[in-house]
Amino acid sequence: MTLLVVHSRLGKHRFEVAKGLSVREALDITALRVRAACGGTGACGACVIHLVGGEVSAPTVAEYMKLGSDERAAGARLACQVRLKGDTEIRLDRPAPPSPWKSIPLENLKPLTHGLPELRAHTLGVAIDLGTTQIRVSLLDRRSGRRIATRRGPNPQGVFGADILNRLEAARANPAHAAELAKLVRTAILRAVRDILARDIGEVKAMLAEIGQVFIVGNTAMLALLGGRGADTLLDPANWQGAIDCRPHDVTPWRAKGALPCAELVMPDPVAGFVGSDLVADLLATGLTEGPAGALLLDIGTNTEIALWDGATLHVTSVAGGPAFEGSGIRHGMAAEPGAIDSVCSVENHYRWRTIGGGAPQGFCGSGLVDAIALLLADGRLKPSGRFASPPGPDGYPLDPNHPNTAITGPDIDAFQRAKAATAAAMSQLLIQAGMTWRELRRLCVCGAFGRTLHLGHAQAIGLLPAVHPGLIELHAEAALAGCEQALLSPGGVQCFDALTAKTKTINLSLLPGYEDRYIEHLRLRPIALTPTTGQRP
Amino acid sequence: MLDRFIKAYNEAVFETDKEAAFTAVNTALAEGIPPEDIVFKIVIPAVEEMMSNITKDPDANLAQHFMTAQIAAEVTEKMLEKFEHPPEIIGRVVIGTAHGDLHSLGKRIVMGCLKALMVEATDLGVNVPAEKFVDEAIARDAQVIAMSAMMVHTATGEDGACKVRQILKERGLEQRFKLIVGGAPYRYDTELYQAVGADSWAPDGVNAARAIINLIQQVKHRDSAQDI
Ligand code: FES
Repeated sequence: MTLLVVHSRLGKHRFEVAKGLSVREALDITALRVRAACGGTGACGACVIHLVGGEVSAPTVAEYMKLGSDERAAGARLACQVRLKGDTEIRLDRPAPPSPWKSIPLENLKPLTHGLPELRAHTLGVAIDLGTTQIRVSLLDRRSGRRIATRRGPNPQGVFGADILNRLEAARANPAHAAELAKLVRTAILRAVRDILARDIGEVKAMLAEIGQVFIVGNTAMLALLGGRGADTLLDPANWQGAIDCRPHDVTPWRAKGALPCAELVMPDPVAGFVGSDLVADLLATGLTEGPAGALLLDIGTNTEIALWDGATLHVTSVAGGPAFEGSGIRHGMAAEPGAIDSVCSVENHYRWRTIGGGAPQGFCGSGLVDAIALLLADGRLKPSGRFASPPGPDGYPLDPNHPNTAITGPDIDAFQRAKAATAAAMSQLLIQAGMTWRELRRLCVCGAFGRTLHLGHAQAIGLLPAVHPGLIELHAEAALAGCEQALLSPGGVQCFDALTAKTKTINLSLLPGYEDRYIEHLRLRPIALTPTTGQRP
Repeated sequence: MLDRFIKAYNEAVFETDKEAAFTAVNTALAEGIPPEDIVFKIVIPAVEEMMSNITKDPDANLAQHFMTAQIAAEVTEKMLEKFEHPPEIIGRVVIGTAHGDLHSLGKRIVMGCLKALMVEATDLGVNVPAEKFVDEAIARDAQVIAMSAMMVHTATGEDGACKVRQILKERGLEQRFKLIVGGAPYRYDTELYQAVGADSWAPDGVNAARAIINLIQQVKHRDSAQDI
């Protein structure tokens, strides 16, 4: 890692970035982007910055062509050409206009293996993971199997409420709201796509017509809201067990001028009312059914979805209670974005935090919260009941007294306990449904909100993950988007989804009497007992 | 001697440590304390303590309420098996989640407290139609019908509390059963319970247990008044 200091009109920003990245790549994942109108090839010359000092790569041919000698003498460089070799300081006089869209860090993306060489026209494709809080978009050249760029940004439906139910309620109560909710997401997706075309290809209008397919996965509620119908169906549990058709009846707004005139809209059916197609995308990306029996997949999010492969059947379910892991409902909680504490360690009785991007802490994302709670517990400041040994008061216990945003409150612990109990109880219940035990687990794939920074030992110590051998646990970032990309690049496309969905057996936990007992059993902050002495297996 | 066990049990409950709570009552049993005393002198006072503390203890959270109610219920159940004479039941309640609603956890705290306080609570489960609430209340000879609803549309829905009220009215059962509701929507709008035809409401599981006992007493009191 190396330090990148950026001076702009907005002040001085410090970023911790991987060595070898270009300045543009480093800044594209932040809110402070350089201007750009090409794929970073040095063709547009828009990404000018000024080097103040530091260790960087020598000017490229493109820079000699795009920048005058006097400009170069004044320190001008092209951000897409300068690679960081050590700590560096730059000046950014004309940043790109503010935008909610940022690139997804490269290390979180899975490499693409093949393309569709026989494809002749409209070769671009868009993969979309439509989440409750975040939308993730990836633009691919389907023919060559190359990823052009990715974006992630907030789901603008948040104005109708962070909670899925609030949005469904709004859509059910008023058709105008339903239409508005659908439009918000459609517009956001189109904006993200246009942002990619403008910045990474340099041409918007003509390229929109080159997009031949848009492949969307998401949780069932998000898909229903995007389709502009189904909110009613979805609010009635009688319909939860079966498949729900969420596809929009009318695709004209998608096909309109300035939108995606040539794109086919592909939305695989969600598995059931409470298990979305994002879970199927995870299954595809992790190859869960291709491995050994006893493989569990956890997609942690606002709605945590879980699948267990027993060699013949995919037992799937979902639990509410995940928002805590995404930082919502936590006093100083936030998504895994720059400024979020994503890990904490303890050094000589002091807590040391690390933030994404290396700046001052703005709050905790899921993995940072897991670390904080595990350390407070290990140090005896927190008890297994979830109570603080000495109550810290309404402002909570600050891990770092210099930063009030590092405080954890009693209600934070409560929300977290309930979320982790629901998750652990759901996993344990799936094992029971499949007639298996924790000890029979051969793989545990953790996807979703924690990304790749989850500290396994901490997650196990507080009973979020079972204490199986750490070698069995895999952390996957952006798995749903990866599965979606995979489908976009395979001739089968939507059939890959249908084949996996056909193997599923959905389980509605709220209809199983034993689940509540298990949930309460898992509320304490302590490791999950792999072989309980009493009660039912596992 | 009892004080020692009361202390050990209360500590275990405070720490939500079920194993330690059971160790405390099992040691008490082994040392000759009758199961009746364990329930009436240790467990019930602890539940009552929790009920009076809920508004005073800002650090206590929902997770802890779940766990403490569960401990109380499990210990009581184990002790009841050992009672020489079955204890007198204060009353009966049927409890379930409104039609269309699968959020069942809220009623766990209520049931845990009620069990420990010698109220027979029958769990009707989730997504329960209005008729079933009434039919079961008749079948179990209950005094109170308790409905939880976590979403606005299930709290105010036509197959929810309003319907139960309507059925009670139609069948002339309004004197026999009291209706109480609970869940998030009633917290947001504290007059909502009246709008849906309920006799009472409670902001949380522990208070719901208390409110249910009040309603049981109201019904019983009226019954005995009518007997005279
Ligand atoms: S020249 Fe750097 S982005 Fe186009």
